[in-house]
Amino acid sequence: MLEIRNLHVTVGGKEILKGIDLDIRAGEVHAIMGPNGSGKSTLSYVLAGRDGYVVTEGSIRFKGKDLLEMNVDERAAAGVFLAFQYPLEIPGVTTMTFLKTALNAQRRARGEEELDAVRFLKLVREKSRPLNVSDDMLKRSLNVGYSGGEKKRAEVLQMSLLEPVLAVLDETDSGLDIDALKTVAEGVNALRSPERAMVVITHYQRLLDYIVPDVVHVLSQGRIVKTGGKDLALELEKSGYAEYGADAA
Amino acid sequence: MSEKATQHFIEVYEETRAALPGAGGWLARRREAAIGSFREAGLPHRRMEEWKYTDLRRTFEKASFGPAPVHEGAVVLPERRSASAFAAIDRHVLVFVNGRYRDDLSRAGHLPKGVELHALDDVLHEQWAKDLVERRFDDARQAENIVDLNTALMSDGACLRIRKGVKLDKPLHLLFVAQDAGASHTRNLVLLENEAEATIFETHIGEVASFVDVVTDIVIGDGARLNHVKLQDEAPDAVHLATMRARLAAEAKLSSFTLTLGCGVSRGQSFVLFSGEGAEASIDGAYALRNRQHADQFCVIDHAVPACTSHTLFKGVLDGESEGVFQGKVIVRPHAQKSDGRQMTHALLLSRDAAMNAKPELEIYADDVQCAHGSTVGELSKEAVFYLRSRGIPEAEARRLLVLAFLEEALDLAPHNQAKDALKLLVSEWFGEAAP
Repeated sequence: MLEIRNLHVTVGGKEILKGIDLDIRAGEVHAIMGPNGSGKSTLSYVLAGRDGYVVTEGSIRFKGKDLLEMNVDERAAAGVFLAFQYPLEIPGVTTMTFLKTALNAQRRARGEEELDAVRFLKLVREKSRPLNVSDDMLKRSLNVGYSGGEKKRAEVLQMSLLEPVLAVLDETDSGLDIDALKTVAEGVNALRSPERAMVVITHYQRLLDYIVPDVVHVLSQGRIVKTGGKDLALELEKSGYAEYGADAA
Repeated sequence: MSEKATQHFIEVYEETRAALPGAGGWLARRREAAIGSFREAGLPHRRMEEWKYTDLRRTFEKASFGPAPVHEGAVVLPERRSASAFAAIDRHVLVFVNGRYRDDLSRAGHLPKGVELHALDDVLHEQWAKDLVERRFDDARQAENIVDLNTALMSDGACLRIRKGVKLDKPLHLLFVAQDAGASHTRNLVLLENEAEATIFETHIGEVASFVDVVTDIVIGDGARLNHVKLQDEAPDAVHLATMRARLAAEAKLSSFTLTLGCGVSRGQSFVLFSGEGAEASIDGAYALRNRQHADQFCVIDHAVPACTSHTLFKGVLDGESEGVFQGKVIVRPHAQKSDGRQMTHALLLSRDAAMNAKPELEIYADDVQCAHGSTVGELSKEAVFYLRSRGIPEAEARRLLVLAFLEEALDLAPHNQAKDALKLLVSEWFGEAAP
């Protein structure tokens, strides 16, 4: 589903990713772990298509197509979803309006029929319930005044509603207490399916107790330095990232 | 000898005065005095502080406007949606074409007892009309001297008087259509006696090179309330100059909201004078400009007596090479304790070539007051646009959502719910038009 070959990326003239190779098949959950500054978030932004992240070498193919040829919203409509580490606050745009605009924009881009207000409301209620997203939250401005946990639950709600093919979760565990983490992880696990792949980016092993990956990669200084099964995460928990040339653990 | 642009208007006055309303009466004498002051001061220009960013003298050197003809035939409303923005609201409608009242196009319906609604010509013999026209504000003379031009040349207007305790049953809509090129000078008079209430909509539309000069004089009595929603959307080669002067007695309330979709050069001036304690004025607006439009909002609130509250918020978006101006002043007189005055302006630049000049000022001579002012100019957040796009929302739609969200805080202040929704829809459509 996702094939990354020899990916080099610079940000502000500085090379952050220095030759990444990664293959992810449908149904798989990959964890990418690594110390701060290793390039984890850069990888997620390159996949989403953010400005300022320049691919100098290499390729990314998504469902057989050249992902780098697609702009940000085309990627989203094609099924790429990035759950943000720090979801933005958008004053004046209610969460409900935002969700409806996004869902219908994607449906339109795919040539599907847009949902009317009634069908949309039914769908969003159904998706909100397991995530404890209240009607009140939906009526408020997107992420404005949300707690850390509410923001992450809202991200998972977006994912659940938009049903992406490839979901990239960037440090979804940051800023969450254990209960919030469990709610979010349950939401993510409910979305695991044979048709969907996930990339879970995290600094800590903790999240992987709840979202158990099929494959774990260690990213350090812009390269994948080790790949293994879920036990690799546990190993890292014990030994830290020191052996991978990082000073932070 | 006055400079050419000023001289042009004086010549128009000389040629047309015999045909203007009130010939031979008090108004004719008032016009003489006004043209004398106008001749002396001339058109305002940028070396005057109040006109620093909008140089009318230059505007009229570049484009000259003869009097707009009296239009008696059928009128085709411009296709722009502003023309029908309030059409779905149950209201009384007075239509003015080229600044002249058109009875055949108006639909004022049955008015409640105690509501008097006339064209200017029909009220000139009444003392209240004379009082309103002759009233002068002492402060901000420079910004106001352009009113002399209006006084000299005013040819028509809507005059509304509501007797004590009477409520106007539905909004009164004043629809001004510039049908032919040229200048029109309109004077509206509004007198709300104690405890009276009214809502007025005012729309200015046109697709011709018009100079629309409209002055609205308002007196609001004790405990009376006036809601005002104005929409301006005229041609790229049009000039729009609107002055609102309001005096509020004790416990009176004025809520005025203007949506400016602009024209070539537009300036909206508001002067509010509190003359009785406990009054409240909210003078707010939103604007959306593009291409080479220039729009200036000028607002002076005079807390001349204690315990009054004023609120001013203008928010706007500027695209293309457009230019926005906000100049505001809150004056608190020495004995006007317990005054509460707020004046804010926020602008969003959508293009590198757009510009905003903002100058909110406070002049406070009392010590027990709450006053604040502020001004920001920014751009759309790239991060926010990226976030919305990352969810599949195309860039143009993402920008539109964010711009509407930005303007919403101001639009929500429009003091009539259906009108507010109509304005929101207009702004949304305005943004749609921007797409190539």
